[in-house]
Amino acid sequence: MRALKFLFLGVVVAFVLAACADSEETQSKEGVIELTLWNDWTEDRPENTVYKDIIEKFNAEHDDIEIISESTPHDDYEIKLRTQAAGNQLPDLMRVWPGTRIEPFVEGDALLPLNPIIDHWEGTIPEEILQDYALGENYYAIPSNVSETSLIFYNKQLVSEAGFEEFPATYKELKELVDSLNSDNVTPISVGNKAIWPLQSVFISGIADRYTGSDFLHNVLNEDGTFENEQFINALTVIDDLTKSGAFNEDMNTIDEAQSRNEFIKGSTAMHFAGSWAIGPIMDSVDDLENIGVAPFPSFEGGEGDASKISGVAGGGIAVNSQLSEEEQEAAFEFLKFYYSEELFQELVKANIIVPADVEMDDSIPEVFKEANSLAQNGLSPVYDATLSPELTDIINNGLQSITIGDTTPEELAAEMQAELEKANE
Amino acid sequence: MQLTHKSKAAIMIGLLPAFLIYAVFAIYPILQSFYYSLMEWDGFTDMTFVGLDNFRNLFEDPLFWNSVKNNIYVVLASVLGQIPLALFFALLLNRKIKGLKFFRTVGFLPVVLSTVVISLTWSLIYNSQNGMLNEILRNIGLGVMAQNWLGDTKWVMAAVLVTVIWQFIGLYLIIFLAALQNVPTEVLEAAKMDGASEWTTTFKITIPMIWHTIIVAVILCISGSLKTFDLIYVMTNGGPAHSSDVMALYMFNETFNKLQYGYGSAVSVFIFFFSLILIFIVTKLFGRKLI
Repeated sequence: MRALKFLFLGVVVAFVLAACADSEETQSKEGVIELTLWNDWTEDRPENTVYKDIIEKFNAEHDDIEIISESTPHDDYEIKLRTQAAGNQLPDLMRVWPGTRIEPFVEGDALLPLNPIIDHWEGTIPEEILQDYALGENYYAIPSNVSETSLIFYNKQLVSEAGFEEFPATYKELKELVDSLNSDNVTPISVGNKAIWPLQSVFISGIADRYTGSDFLHNVLNEDGTFENEQFINALTVIDDLTKSGAFNEDMNTIDEAQSRNEFIKGSTAMHFAGSWAIGPIMDSVDDLENIGVAPFPSFEGGEGDASKISGVAGGGIAVNSQLSEEEQEAAFEFLKFYYSEELFQELVKANIIVPADVEMDDSIPEVFKEANSLAQNGLSPVYDATLSPELTDIINNGLQSITIGDTTPEELAAEMQAELEKANE
Repeated sequence: MQLTHKSKAAIMIGLLPAFLIYAVFAIYPILQSFYYSLMEWDGFTDMTFVGLDNFRNLFEDPLFWNSVKNNIYVVLASVLGQIPLALFFALLLNRKIKGLKFFRTVGFLPVVLSTVVISLTWSLIYNSQNGMLNEILRNIGLGVMAQNWLGDTKWVMAAVLVTVIWQFIGLYLIIFLAALQNVPTEVLEAAKMDGASEWTTTFKITIPMIWHTIIVAVILCISGSLKTFDLIYVMTNGGPAHSSDVMALYMFNETFNKLQYGYGSAVSVFIFFFSLILIFIVTKLFGRKLI
């Protein structure tokens, strides 16, 4: 009896120990270097298939390197990455976002600079786009796409029924369009601001640039200027103005971005302000492609910015863990060279993704995409949440939402942002 | 099998695996967050010791007190909403009525549904443009009462609290039903013989006999409410403009969105002591030693 008890106990202990002993093996097969790649390619989108196919091809062509892809849904991905980083358990390769979003990783020495191989992309990817993933002298990832964040998608039929043959080029005309649509009982602009970033990333990135010009944000962050700048307040006031003139759907703060996009696709709203990420889903689901137009943000009277610019930032970069052995580093570099190739960019264009490289386009590429792609050629202006610190992003996100419900004013929000900036710079 | 008085050692050995797991996954992390709460740490670079600075900043942040206030609403709504309603329904269902199993299942259903499903469903019900609630109000001629339930700072907490109450009534209903079925019939029969009315029996005999269970339910309720996170995270994400923030949500955003692991730990330490004190008060108030 006693022997049995101890046997049972032994089994339990063995189980517990086995569960704990999930050791970190990197090389299971003899001579094959295994690299784990974390990404957010869970959605069934054409570009995700492109990424996965290239990895499969790489694995097939390389007997000595095996890339293992592990996907996490987008909304949880960055939180997972940050949590794992805190536990010092980052994977060998990981998808990262540019600007301030990789800064903490770099400061924590978690990422390996790609300087030894950066020349490989000389002439393919323009230097200023490579810069998005660079901090100081070092490059930390190679971009595979460009995210434009401020596009206007519009329903041609609804806009022309409201009396506009051409899409408004100035804010004044846009306001007239809004009024005209309202009198026809059509919701002018569908917004899904529950996750609180769209008003900032899509709207303010575009509108503020028209008012302040593209150097403003960078200057303010370097203590040359202030958020309490009149032009910046003008930009924030546009949100207040649009809300008060009934431009947005009433439930804007309780639905998410995808829901608001669906309202537009259904044809129940005339416009949808979003980034290039919406091109694919809209073109996939809309009934009549010809009826959908895409336009840049209008110009604003008195604005100091260049009205032909569009806010955008590079994306799709894969960073390398700084703790890899020399052998693994070589393997990782080889993978990156293979991955960011002409072939990737060509396949991405077919999947309606705007790429940082010059790629030839044939007639099978739809107009909406060509139009959006051409907008990127006039130069990119900064995207707010890719440039502001997480604290400032949080303040502006919440502040814009407060403006829409009348809880705060543009002046108060600007003052609050400036106060936070000064606190952080102390 | 006379283990009990044979050797305490055997009991200890038997408890050891469970205790080890509990210590590693529950006690150790709690102690660890005490330690982190004294640090400034972004999760990447080295920590620096800042003493009680995190707590000072915490107590100075109006957004934090706002989340505490909302959290107290959740506790009050749960204790004063869930428990009495659950008790009422349990007393009703404890009578020999037809379709008892059906009502019991219906009542318990929200508990087994995933919180995300509940949150999304209720978000649709509350939607201001095409939600069920506003549609009903409009159709019965009460259109003026239709509100932007989740988008208006005045209504959002009330709307969320209704969902919170609805979600967990079933759980306490089942707990109370189980307790009611354990009330010995002899006592109830004796009361009837003595001529006690139904009303008196309920208040003088039944409820005192399940009092212990009620207290346990209240404690479960309080600790559950202080941990509220998922429902509000999905329904409103704390918005609009922080008007439905609760402590756990505040902690989550500060920690993971703003990368302040030390500060976030300070918030969780606060939640820890806040719960302890609240539960201590409740047990004192009801005069029973339960913990």
